[in-house]
Amino acid sequence: MSAEPAVEARGLSVRYGDFTAVDRVSFSVARGEIFGFLGANGAGKTTTIRVLCGLLPPTEGAVRVAGRSYADGERAIKEKVGYMSQKFTLYNDLTIGENLDFIASLRKLEPSYYARRRDELMELISFKKGLGEKVGALSGGTKQQVSLAAALLHDPEVVFLDEPTAGVTPAGRDRFWKLIRRVAGSGKTVFVTTHYMDEAEQCGRIALMRSGKLVAMDSPAGLKKSVFPEPVFEFDPLGTLSFAALAAFESHQAFSFFEPYGPRFHAAAAGPEAWARWRPELEKTFRIREIAPSLEDVFIRVVESAA
Amino acid sequence: MRFDWRRAAAVARKEWFHIRRDPFTLALALVLPLVMVVVYGVAIDFNIKGVSLAVSDSDASQASRRLVDTFDSSAYFRILPAASPAQAVEDVVAERAKAALIIPPDFEKDLSAGRGARAQLLLDGADNATVAPVSQYAATIQTMASERIAGVDLTPPYTLRTRFLFNPELNSRWFVIPGLTVVIMAILSIFLTAMTVAREWENGSMELLLSTPVEPLEIIAGKAAPYAVLGAVALSFVYLIARLGFGVPFAGHLWVFALGCAIFLLTYLAQGLLISVTTRQQTIAMQLSMLTGMLPSNLLSGFVFPIASMPKFFWFFTMLLPARWFMVIARRTFLEGSSLLQLRVPFAALSASCVVMVALATRSFRRSLE
Repeated sequence: MSAEPAVEARGLSVRYGDFTAVDRVSFSVARGEIFGFLGANGAGKTTTIRVLCGLLPPTEGAVRVAGRSYADGERAIKEKVGYMSQKFTLYNDLTIGENLDFIASLRKLEPSYYARRRDELMELISFKKGLGEKVGALSGGTKQQVSLAAALLHDPEVVFLDEPTAGVTPAGRDRFWKLIRRVAGSGKTVFVTTHYMDEAEQCGRIALMRSGKLVAMDSPAGLKKSVFPEPVFEFDPLGTLSFAALAAFESHQAFSFFEPYGPRFHAAAAGPEAWARWRPELEKTFRIREIAPSLEDVFIRVVESAA
Repeated sequence: MRFDWRRAAAVARKEWFHIRRDPFTLALALVLPLVMVVVYGVAIDFNIKGVSLAVSDSDASQASRRLVDTFDSSAYFRILPAASPAQAVEDVVAERAKAALIIPPDFEKDLSAGRGARAQLLLDGADNATVAPVSQYAATIQTMASERIAGVDLTPPYTLRTRFLFNPELNSRWFVIPGLTVVIMAILSIFLTAMTVAREWENGSMELLLSTPVEPLEIIAGKAAPYAVLGAVALSFVYLIARLGFGVPFAGHLWVFALGCAIFLLTYLAQGLLISVTTRQQTIAMQLSMLTGMLPSNLLSGFVFPIASMPKFFWFFTMLLPARWFMVIARRTFLEGSSLLQLRVPFAALSASCVVMVALATRSFRRSLE
């Protein structure tokens, strides 16, 4: 039982008419894993998540989530998973207690079980204000935490978080990720999408999507290694660079990758010979030092520049 | 599909929380009926009385005074003496009077000579609403005046006695207020439901609903229930004001009227839902409800403009409108006391449109979730 992956997709495709939103995607996620799902907007992340949550039957292929599949009936998957969608989905004009009561009744939780679980979750998110507080009066970060609690109310085995920290302050994001780790630590599988690379770094494994296809999947360290087999350097300009000079560097034959990174640049060498030949020349303009690629470099190379 | 009452009740409860905290919804549901009944019942009176009549009597004879007195004593006219025929016309032009009666100098002389005396009645033809009733009153008064002036009973060879059934005094309130129940229910039901589902889409909370095992039909039933209750409350409100405040009689069976209300409410709730599902935006939903709910129920239901006098196309088109049929049910149960059997045609038509609308709404709602 425990050997079975928590989430499994095999040859999953979703098409809307002529448009293919998700194109033959296969992967599996182990129990207790924090699985990051990255990609540009419109890459098919949300569609994939909707399929995995039991909201959208796939056009082709099969999914198995927490041991359930679409063949087990319409609600089979929904009963086992928690879903926190992109937008904030609790009702602002209702209190926290009313929101949670509502979800508990939709899921038909036992009243005694629900009361215990609710207190547990409020403790988990260290929520000090009363349940009588209106949701609309909470800060963005706290709202997201309450949303997470709502998604966990029925003790799902897998929880899907679609951009849970969009629009939340850095401190709020940090707190939210502590929660995610705690949830995963309790044996739940967390499936999360994000546009923040520092958050992606905290995932056990990351899958990258581009135009509906899964283009890379590994641990953050593994991804950096496989996406950048060549050495990566940081270029710190010694003086100011004109736009024309910058454009020349961007298409310079010494580089296979050249992207701005704050005031500096991250670049990968096109090949050892070319690099050896050009380095002295380049050192007239830049201070150069070898670095490990960042996840952002990986993302840009895989998801954006290769498009 | 399994329908679970507890889940539907949870949706209804949540919806009730929204209503309770949204002053706009509550105000719309409770204040709007009150305002409409008062406006239509008090301010707008289709019975015209005390029409100001500018009178220029150049004859100043016994006969001419009798004619003027007959107008004066009818309560339909208020006499405004004018110094000359020109002055009388001027009074109408300047909007001081609605009509002018001009009696020429030889009125009595012509009368006694048997030459057929003439007096002139001028009406403000630009004001369509008063011309018809005023000319009708004038005709009646003419007959009365002729008798008085001639001093004889001009009994015609036969008499046509007109008696108005169901509304003997032709009190327009009796006619308008039952119709108002239709307009008010149409506005309330369609507006409120049109907003409620669109709001879920706009907030993104529809995703939350759908990620739980709740069924579409449970959402629909749960969402419609509080608004149905609100509609029923508003309606009872209108009924009470009509009966107690304006003394409108209710001749029929209350349950027949209530049944009509229930079917009509369900139809319009479904129509609101259909709008909500297709637009997914509150502002567009609002406009569409105006266009498809409020306008037809006001203009094409027979509430203001009689359907019988509409062009053929509209006469057929109104057959598709539930408001037209409910208008018949409301007026006839109130004033005529018609039974369900007598109202079988409007009831059948209303039920048919209800079934169609509910089917459309549930189908489009299910589709939209896939």
